[in-house]
Amino acid sequence: MKHFTKLTAAAVLAVTGVAAAAESLYVPNLSYRTGPFASTGIPLMNGQKDYMEMLNARDGGIGGVKIDFEECETGYSTEKGVECYERTKGEAIVTQPWSTGITLQVLPKTNVDEIPILAPGYGFSPMADGKTFQWAFNVPGGYWDAADMIVQYLEGQDGGVSGKKIAFLHLDHPYGKEPLPLLNSLAEEKGFELLPIPVGLNEMQNQSAQWLQVRRERPDYVVMWGWGAMNAGAITEAVKTKFPMENFIGVWWSGQDADLRLVGDEGVGYKSISWSFPNPDAGVHADIKEHVVDAGKSLSNAEEMGGVFYNRGLVMSMILAEGIATAQAEYGEAMITPAQLRWGLENLNITAERLEELGMTNMVPPFSTSCANHTGHAGGWMLEWDGEKFAKVSDQLTPRVDAYKPLLEGSAAEYAAANEPWAVNEDCNAES
Amino acid sequence: MLYRTAGQFKTSYKADQALFPVRQDAFLLTIILVFAWVIFPLTASEFAFQTLLIPILIYSLAAMGLNILTGYAGQLSLGTAAFMGVGAYACYKLIAIMDPILAILLSGVFSAGIGVVFGIPSLRIKGFYLAIATLAAQFFLVWLFEKWAWLYNYNASGAIQVPNLTSFGVFVTGPQATSVTQYYVILAIVTVMTILCINLTRGTLGRTWKATRDMDIAAELIGINLMRSKLTAFAISSYVVGVAGAMFVFMWRGAAEPNLFDIPLSFQILFIAIIGGLGSILGNYLGAILIVGLPVVLNTVPELMGLEIKSATVEHINIMIVGSLIIFFLIIEPHGLARLWALIREKLIIWPVPH
Repeated sequence: MKHFTKLTAAAVLAVTGVAAAAESLYVPNLSYRTGPFASTGIPLMNGQKDYMEMLNARDGGIGGVKIDFEECETGYSTEKGVECYERTKGEAIVTQPWSTGITLQVLPKTNVDEIPILAPGYGFSPMADGKTFQWAFNVPGGYWDAADMIVQYLEGQDGGVSGKKIAFLHLDHPYGKEPLPLLNSLAEEKGFELLPIPVGLNEMQNQSAQWLQVRRERPDYVVMWGWGAMNAGAITEAVKTKFPMENFIGVWWSGQDADLRLVGDEGVGYKSISWSFPNPDAGVHADIKEHVVDAGKSLSNAEEMGGVFYNRGLVMSMILAEGIATAQAEYGEAMITPAQLRWGLENLNITAERLEELGMTNMVPPFSTSCANHTGHAGGWMLEWDGEKFAKVSDQLTPRVDAYKPLLEGSAAEYAAANEPWAVNEDCNAES
Repeated sequence: MLYRTAGQFKTSYKADQALFPVRQDAFLLTIILVFAWVIFPLTASEFAFQTLLIPILIYSLAAMGLNILTGYAGQLSLGTAAFMGVGAYACYKLIAIMDPILAILLSGVFSAGIGVVFGIPSLRIKGFYLAIATLAAQFFLVWLFEKWAWLYNYNASGAIQVPNLTSFGVFVTGPQATSVTQYYVILAIVTVMTILCINLTRGTLGRTWKATRDMDIAAELIGINLMRSKLTAFAISSYVVGVAGAMFVFMWRGAAEPNLFDIPLSFQILFIAIIGGLGSILGNYLGAILIVGLPVVLNTVPELMGLEIKSATVEHINIMIVGSLIIFFLIIEPHGLARLWALIREKLIIWPVPH
């Protein structure tokens, strides 16, 4: 009986707790702080969380309402991800699926449930087509943007890319295969030879076979689409086989400080394309220090906070917060609905001035979105590991979206056709 | 008291061998069926459908397929997930030309064929060695799902996506389908399969399987054709597993990549069968409830109690609790939950005056 009273008391508390928290925006994040991908997930998720905590402490949330930023643990498992999606979708104004696998799974459901899906820098590249994927956003850049910018950077190096051989070392998973259509078409157009080398999920930590192939084929460059344990595996293997590091380029998920710190000076010259860059002098860091770290609410540490991934997490939450603020301003109410948030995310305008106001100068290139352009195609920088940290080695690169627009639209149309009946945004007249 | 058998006389061998020798069993089953067919669908939320009811049914069916092979015919298999994959990919190709429900039922035929092929070594090798042979099937098939692009229609991401499909004018697969419809389709298929499996395992075929399992030399001596016995077990088991695999992707997940059918899924299903009880039909359901359903329920407990625990911590605690429960159940009853229920039932029958 005693137990029962306790339980009832707890239940009553829980119910009233929910009622008291009703005046906040529920923003769940399908995080993974456990499992094989935790090492790459934790810094990103700490960044996301700290930014929202900072807004809550400094400004009392966004537009006067607190942000209820809650994590649901998936361990990168698609099954758990769908469970989290189902659990949170009732109250949530957005879903952040956090893995290409979960994104693919949730993508068709969000079109029926009408919840915006925010996948900053990952997911299905054709999501850029906002007319077809009206609920999905992969701001500020998709994988095809990344692939295009890497090729662009290589073209700028001596000798260009024509006649060169580029090995594409990728995770054998939807995520790793994502840029293949674009790379294939670029190879044809620019006249380089593309050599895809897949790495199976259970070979991530032992890539000797793949690197043997690299040694045999002697490619001019190795482009990597890796994640989690695969990055560290590839980088140590490259060092071991004495592959020239300056010819080794990763996507933005393969540029984590911790992976490179493992090899230290041996990794000098390794490059990674990125749409975000840490700026420790930016105002946002001072605010986070004051309101979150000193208040003891941060799960992060000083070393991690100077890294690329933590800062990317900050940018991700900033994009979401800006989307919420834009929607609040348009509709004149603080408690926005998922549909209103979608409008907010479709009308982002992150200018250089706005970034300065936010205290995020130079942490992300300026970009804007529209109902037809759900990616923003912000572009990014080529970063290089100097033995201690990543440094910018290029000017801001911008993807040549016009060149692969037909490919984007074709894939989007194909997806919509395969998922008939698929609701598209008929009212959208903007070109891009 | 509740399970009093007094007054229930059996006057013929037929009555003695009936499916429900005790009237209360039939009564209990009716209650469960009423819950499954009427009460749950009327009251369940979207969350309950998607994370409890539907997965438990599908996993139970997959475990039932494995149980026929391992529990009844005694052939240890570690390739269940790969056979599920065969069902899923076959279904993906079949939906292009036929009704989705028919495609799901037919997709099992393909996995049955593959199952028989990989079952042939069982005529020569036994026990753990056979497990290794089925492990080969596991690795080979998953590799095939990755490399044979025709299977996933040359999709760039290598994944299969479930389209919106109708059967008799109602959406049954894809995001347009409602959970209730999908639940009823799954429930109907699982119910029919269960009835078939119960009767198969009680009939001649089931008896030859059990003889093969218990001592194959003796079985051969009394005139059982071992080849036929083992290969039918492989075929029927793989058929059931294949149908479960097709439903796994088409009625629940909505998309699948090849590594979904990798060995962790095989193990999960094997654990369901072992913890539920090898050589039992009921056990598959109990095992699936424990392994698939319990973690989901446990995850919601801290929230209901109003406790503020980080979700990663909840996940860790959850793994520990489920792990210790598995050990606990295996210690108190190594023969699985089904045997535990059988013991409870026997005790209830003689209660309150045990001899």
